[in-house]
Amino acid sequence: MSDTRTDESRSGDYGGSGPDSTPALEMEAIRKVYEVADEEVVALDHADLTLAPDEIVALIGPSGSGKTTLCSIAGGILSPTEGKVVVGGKDISGYSSKELTGFRRDSVGFVFQTVNLIPFLTARENLLVVDEIGSRDRKRANERADQLLEELGLEDRAGNLPSQLSGGQKQRVAIGRALMNEPALVLFDEPTSSLDSKLGDQMVRLIREEMKSRGTAAIIVTHDDRITGYADRTVHITDGRLEA
Amino acid sequence: MFLALKEMRRAKVRFGLLISATGLLVLLILAQQAIQTGLITSFIGAIEKQSAPVLVYSVDGQRILQGSIITPALEQKIRSTEGIEKSGRIGQGTFTVKVNDDEEDSDAAIIGYTDPDLGEPDQLSAGRAARGPGEAVGSAPGFEVGDTVRVLGPDGGSRGTGEIRVVGLADDAQLQVTPTLFTGWSGYVASVKSANPDAGAILPSAIGVAPVAGLDPAALAERINDASQEADALPRQVAADESPGVAEVRQSFQVIFLLFGLVVPLVTGLFFLIITLQKSASLTLLRAVGAQSGLLVRSLMFQVVLVIGGGLAVGIALYTPLSQARLGEIKLSFDVSAVLIWSVLLLGLGLLSAVVSARRVLKIDPIEATTGEGGR
Repeated sequence: MSDTRTDESRSGDYGGSGPDSTPALEMEAIRKVYEVADEEVVALDHADLTLAPDEIVALIGPSGSGKTTLCSIAGGILSPTEGKVVVGGKDISGYSSKELTGFRRDSVGFVFQTVNLIPFLTARENLLVVDEIGSRDRKRANERADQLLEELGLEDRAGNLPSQLSGGQKQRVAIGRALMNEPALVLFDEPTSSLDSKLGDQMVRLIREEMKSRGTAAIIVTHDDRITGYADRTVHITDGRLEA
Repeated sequence: MFLALKEMRRAKVRFGLLISATGLLVLLILAQQAIQTGLITSFIGAIEKQSAPVLVYSVDGQRILQGSIITPALEQKIRSTEGIEKSGRIGQGTFTVKVNDDEEDSDAAIIGYTDPDLGEPDQLSAGRAARGPGEAVGSAPGFEVGDTVRVLGPDGGSRGTGEIRVVGLADDAQLQVTPTLFTGWSGYVASVKSANPDAGAILPSAIGVAPVAGLDPAALAERINDASQEADALPRQVAADESPGVAEVRQSFQVIFLLFGLVVPLVTGLFFLIITLQKSASLTLLRAVGAQSGLLVRSLMFQVVLVIGGGLAVGIALYTPLSQARLGEIKLSFDVSAVLIWSVLLLGLGLLSAVVSARRVLKIDPIEATTGEGGR
């Protein structure tokens, strides 16, 4: 098993994404099998997916089709049963649980569907927490958090707790948090599901602008066909099989 | 510790209430400890503070000074035991007295000794040692330097024995929760005669014994007990600890302390388990975005230390003025060793009680962030 961690190590130092020629994500023949009550359930069946450094892919599929499993493997939350996963030049296929935790902290961004913010932290602190669990370069993290909040139009909400923010503002804070570690890849799980159509549209446009301006790749898991218009490519998944 | 401090800052009332509750429990523990120490000291302080390294009672006396009578024959046997450097008589009685010109009569224990090195308090807190007849060292609380004490006779009047003048004070030197005077043998005899003019020969209640150099007091006590079946020799501290009732008082308080020792970690343990469950969604999110579980456990333990530490600070702050109080004749005191022992014990138990919460944190699977189960 190859391990290219030393080539493009980000180490949580906000070092920016790798060279343009390095794909943000390479998934080769990924298979994920769960054992449920002594039976094998195939969640992903030899899935291949490659994302260019700033490519945005919309991943569409019905419930239970394997969308979340694919994203979890790409983000280092799950390990594949078989296959190879390389993110930003790092082969994470054989990473231990501890190594995967460090990889998630330093190299990928997440925007989850349900819980995204720590309720007892302000918007700004929700961004700074990425530094607290990682490299702890306080000065640089402060600058980065302020810059992201400004870009996301949240500079006047920096001191607000999540309970004092609207749904759209919460999602923008979550996007800011996902970008704090300057990841190679950001994974969005149904980012518009809790927003009305107007806000959802604004959110997807914002995601596209933020990803493209940074040259960061993204996978957007969605049921919403309107999102596909903002993606560079749409990938369908059915019963664990990818269809371009 | 960013997360721990931010959470506590944003939930001041919740954590403040826990710190207050812990502080009150610490206060209760330390107050009970002070009462126990004060109570026991009031019963047997005089035994602890007198200077004889070994006290020899008669077996019939059941380790009560006033109930023990040393016959001349037994005294001779004791004195002839090998290993004794010196010995002296110690007598004790409780008398009705009049202190100064108080209208009310009161009770006082009087301890008399033939050798000041074998009976007189070994440390004085004020004044000087008694040097002649009619002088005494008094227990504090109970007496003050300059007090004059007259032992009253059976009819309530004094019978020409003169007065005992308090020239020095010894802290925590009471006997049976009664103000106590330490005086020479002649003063003790005069007191007995004053209270009971018909008394015959005045026999000692105990013999104070000092071992020769190099001989342990416990070893000497054993030799004396081997030499005579009627003798009950005990090193000073053992004589104090084995006075009737002392062990029972200690055992009763230990049951209370055990309950407190269980309640404090139970309260903190349950509190942290509840808030760990309540914030499981946040913990799951943190795990998903790359927080090592060890970091989250350290954050939890840091909060436990802050809560217990805050509780200890509150409890000790409340205990300090309380420890200066007096409950009747029982004097409370600030017990530094009790504070240190309970601080370490409660901190250790508090951390131990958070193990359940820590295990819950360690079990968090970051995949739950993708399913929303972490929030349930």
